[in-house]
Amino acid sequence: MRLPKEHLLLLKALADRPEGGERVDEIAARLGIDQARIAAAAVSLVQQGLVRMIEEPYREVVVRPDGRRFATEGFPERRILKSLIGAGGSLTMPEVATATGLEPKEVGSSLKWLMSRGWARKDGPKLTAAVSAMPPRTADEDLLAELSKRERGTEADLRAAGLAVEEALELLKGRASWCEVREKIHRRIEIEKDGRALLSAGVEESVEVTQLTPELVASGKWRDVILRSYDVRLATDPVYPGKIHPLQRVLDETRHAYLEMGFQEIVSPIVESSFWDFDALFQPQDHPAREMQDTFYLRTPGECALPADPALVDRIRRVHEDGGDTGSIGWQYRWDPDKARRAVLRTHTTATTVRALAADPLGPRRVFCVGRVFRRETIDYKHLPVFYQVDGIVVDADASFANLLGTLAAFYRKMGFKQFQFRPAFFPYTEPSVEVYIWYEKRKDWVEMGGAGIFRPEVTEPLGCRVPVLAWGLGLDRLAMMRYDLSDIRDLYLPDTEWLKGVPVCR
Amino acid sequence: MPVIGIPLEPLRRRIGADLPGDRLLSVLEEIGCDVEGFARLPRTRCKVCEWIEERTESEEPPARCDRCDTDHRADQSTLDEMPPLEVVRMELLAVRPDMFDPGGLARALRGYLGVEAGPAQYEVGDPAARLIVDPSVRDPKSLRPFIACAVVENVTLDADAVKILMKLQENLHWALGRNRKLASIGVYDFDTVRPDLVYTTADPDRTSFVPLGATDGVPRSLRAILEAHPKGRAYKHLLEGLARYPLLRDEGGRVLSMPPIINSEETKVHSGSRRLFIDVTGLGERVVQRTLNILVTSIAENLPGVLLRSVAIAGASTADGKGARADARLTPDLTPQAAHVRAAEASRLIGIPLDASKAASLLLKMRHGARIRGDGDTIEVEVPAYRNDILHERDLIEDIAIAHGYHNIVPELLPARTVGRARPLEDLTNRVREVLCGLGFMEVMTLVLTDDEEHDVALGREVDSSAVRLENPISGEQTRLRTRLLPGLLQVLRHNLHQPLPQQIFEVGDVTRLHPTAETGATEHRRIAFAAIGPKVGFTEARAVVEAIAREFGVAPVWEPAEDAPFLMGRCARVRLDGTTEIGILGEIDPAVLERFGLENPLVMAELSIEALAGWTPALRFTLEE
Repeated sequence: MRLPKEHLLLLKALADRPEGGERVDEIAARLGIDQARIAAAAVSLVQQGLVRMIEEPYREVVVRPDGRRFATEGFPERRILKSLIGAGGSLTMPEVATATGLEPKEVGSSLKWLMSRGWARKDGPKLTAAVSAMPPRTADEDLLAELSKRERGTEADLRAAGLAVEEALELLKGRASWCEVREKIHRRIEIEKDGRALLSAGVEESVEVTQLTPELVASGKWRDVILRSYDVRLATDPVYPGKIHPLQRVLDETRHAYLEMGFQEIVSPIVESSFWDFDALFQPQDHPAREMQDTFYLRTPGECALPADPALVDRIRRVHEDGGDTGSIGWQYRWDPDKARRAVLRTHTTATTVRALAADPLGPRRVFCVGRVFRRETIDYKHLPVFYQVDGIVVDADASFANLLGTLAAFYRKMGFKQFQFRPAFFPYTEPSVEVYIWYEKRKDWVEMGGAGIFRPEVTEPLGCRVPVLAWGLGLDRLAMMRYDLSDIRDLYLPDTEWLKGVPVCR
Repeated sequence: MPVIGIPLEPLRRRIGADLPGDRLLSVLEEIGCDVEGFARLPRTRCKVCEWIEERTESEEPPARCDRCDTDHRADQSTLDEMPPLEVVRMELLAVRPDMFDPGGLARALRGYLGVEAGPAQYEVGDPAARLIVDPSVRDPKSLRPFIACAVVENVTLDADAVKILMKLQENLHWALGRNRKLASIGVYDFDTVRPDLVYTTADPDRTSFVPLGATDGVPRSLRAILEAHPKGRAYKHLLEGLARYPLLRDEGGRVLSMPPIINSEETKVHSGSRRLFIDVTGLGERVVQRTLNILVTSIAENLPGVLLRSVAIAGASTADGKGARADARLTPDLTPQAAHVRAAEASRLIGIPLDASKAASLLLKMRHGARIRGDGDTIEVEVPAYRNDILHERDLIEDIAIAHGYHNIVPELLPARTVGRARPLEDLTNRVREVLCGLGFMEVMTLVLTDDEEHDVALGREVDSSAVRLENPISGEQTRLRTRLLPGLLQVLRHNLHQPLPQQIFEVGDVTRLHPTAETGATEHRRIAFAAIGPKVGFTEARAVVEAIAREFGVAPVWEPAEDAPFLMGRCARVRLDGTTEIGILGEIDPAVLERFGLENPLVMAELSIEALAGWTPALRFTLEE
């Protein structure tokens, strides 16, 4: 039989103890081993039936701050009595306070102790001493004096020190802030018959090892060794999982939000014709957004094909020139098909949703697109020439502006925001139009997230759609920056790999 | 969009209702203004020309006068500091230029707040002058065919009013005039000219006048003004290539202005001016008329008590700008635009309960005229002549929604009649991400804009002829779209030189290539690329990862030796499927490339086509179903 070193030491240490065994703290002190380790060893030995644990209740008296203070300064009733005797027998209450240096409140609360000890009596407004000389120290004063030296003591120890503990505690009743009695338990360990038998049969100390090896496990030798305890509080070198990019997470959550709301996911090319990016959306050809200053035009391919259906192109031309059959007065200029052919890097994913509307104008239909869009912006902490948007449309005869607001609110709720504001806005292709603001708790401000509206009849009717089309285009990079607390948008696209490692997945 | 400061004092005075500051801000937001908040603008006045310059609190007083070019720094006594102006700052809403000034904004707010309802009334008196349009303005060589004019009498101008007038003009130039190109405005002291007036064209070298701000009184030729005057330099592009320049003068030959550049000093408006002459010239009839309407009605709002008088335009251009109208037409024409809106349609579209009388009262709140037709549903609407944004019934429905208040509309979900459907390619791509993350790779995302040097040359490759190229790049570093993912990964590694090794990164994303038969001339391809760098990295690791990806796709790749930059010869493999379809390439990176990117450790990379791995071909045309 082998036992780990400390287990064996403990067993041997208990062998010569009388019946009733020994207290854990005493053994620990005797063997010079930490109490917690003695206790752990004892638990293991108890399981093997070699020792047993005995629980021994006892009372411990602990001094508290007020008790310590008055043990040093003198009990207030004694100080009051002293001042009364010094003053010839009587003082008013305020005079007592002045003479003793006690707070008036403390003087008041000491009265009952003065009375119960028979040291003084209340005489109208005055307090008069009932004795002519200072009485001897009482049991409670002695107890607190002793306790303020040693902080705490078991009832037995204090009694052994010659203190009248019962009497003192009786006197201190009602002074809970002075001292406290705690019910506690001592653990004793006593060796069992089997323990003694084992010792006399002979028992060896087992070996301590650090690394548990396959050999130890396979051979069963692990039973004879002690696996050394580690300090589990020590730091380790960090490891990181491979992670999906934080922005990609936001894009994916966005996709899920719309998929859950019954939307079909679509895409369209980022190289796009002006026709679909602007003209089909009723943006006049001289609109400032179409200028070279704001939009990336392409050298190759310089032009895109116009839609194969010439009637569609003609309807778009007419809606720009005079409103066509839509009841609109149009923009009143000469529409140029060459300008519509010019290739651009799409400036919004609304180009995607309007293509989807043209492909199936009847509905009911819900589609969305998460994708890159381009604006001719100089790169700085807040701007990039490329960013992500989600665009969506709902094509439905029953759709209303209230439904648009409901859909937008549902999306932002899914993304974890609780407060929204909808403000009037202007976009050439929606009417009524609205801008969505969400409350950014961190900055304590409303942040604009994107635009929405009901497609104008000048957009829908030339495509053959005669029902309301709710539409929106919302920025996603800003959402990611808010979530990951970034102040520089470039951090998303040219990242420190350490930052990517460190960003928590659950955020 | 430019940000303007609307002076608070005249705004509050003209609203005529007591409005605490925060309520004013929220009301402005409710009617569609993009409000930034209140501000105090320090102001200076040029003692030479009386020009008032506002600035923000962080700005220094002006060094030179914006109007007369006086050098304030050289002579401090030419500049007066004035009491600061309390303003509410907001972004200009391009579609509502009638709300750019305190008077016009107050007109809208009085309606919204219920102080007044229905159309604002403006009287236009008899013609105060005649203006003759010379046919030469319609000539393609001097093209600026349209003009509309007005006279404003009984004017009392203080310096603040002059400033409001100037700002209004400036903002209209921006919002309607497209920086003076489509329409430009001139305002003059009418008492300095002798009608009839003539809108004509002139030889740039033989005609001269004293431009505004030229305090020396020396006339300059039109061409000299264009070359030397600050406004001339700023707007000279608008007259570029024209043989003759537009000119507005009186019968006696006194020049009022050279539209759209500059007025003359002699006809300048000052605080003593009592009668104003206004012209708007431009390229389109509607924009010229609307600009004038907005300007004169706003003047009437800002300067109560003025009298508007019309001007008879003889020989005005026809709508197409090619011929002359036989009759003299009177401008400004403040006749409201007739339109109609159906209450039931508005109610359904907005999603609020609404009957015709409620709809009509909301339209009155927005300062339209409104009268319910016999059918009890249709409302005849008179759209004020200063509104430029009502093209369709739908625009009136929006006005109804705004008058009702967006904040009073209850957001509601529409019952779903559709089933959500993800794109298969996106789901597939997410599985590829799962594989790479499982292998301990970190995802990065890079910009898709790049340039030949970074993308191809630095990698030791020929410039890719299949790249989509920008016509108007903003910088030399972003001239084209990427055609491969590898260059982006190399840039990320270069950016992370100081980070601990090994590093393992990947990107999944689209590259774009020219494709002559595609609808838009280019197609996108979904690709996966990864990189591993560290002292012990080698080819086998890259191969093992590629194999793992292929295994997860359920395909068995075929490996063949390849020679392809930026890979090291002899340590590069092309991966094919069934020996034919290429799915990608992998290998160790050539040390010459490592050097160029400042990398000092072995690096392996691979780039694969996700579509090829899945056996798909990218669509050449937009399709809704996949």
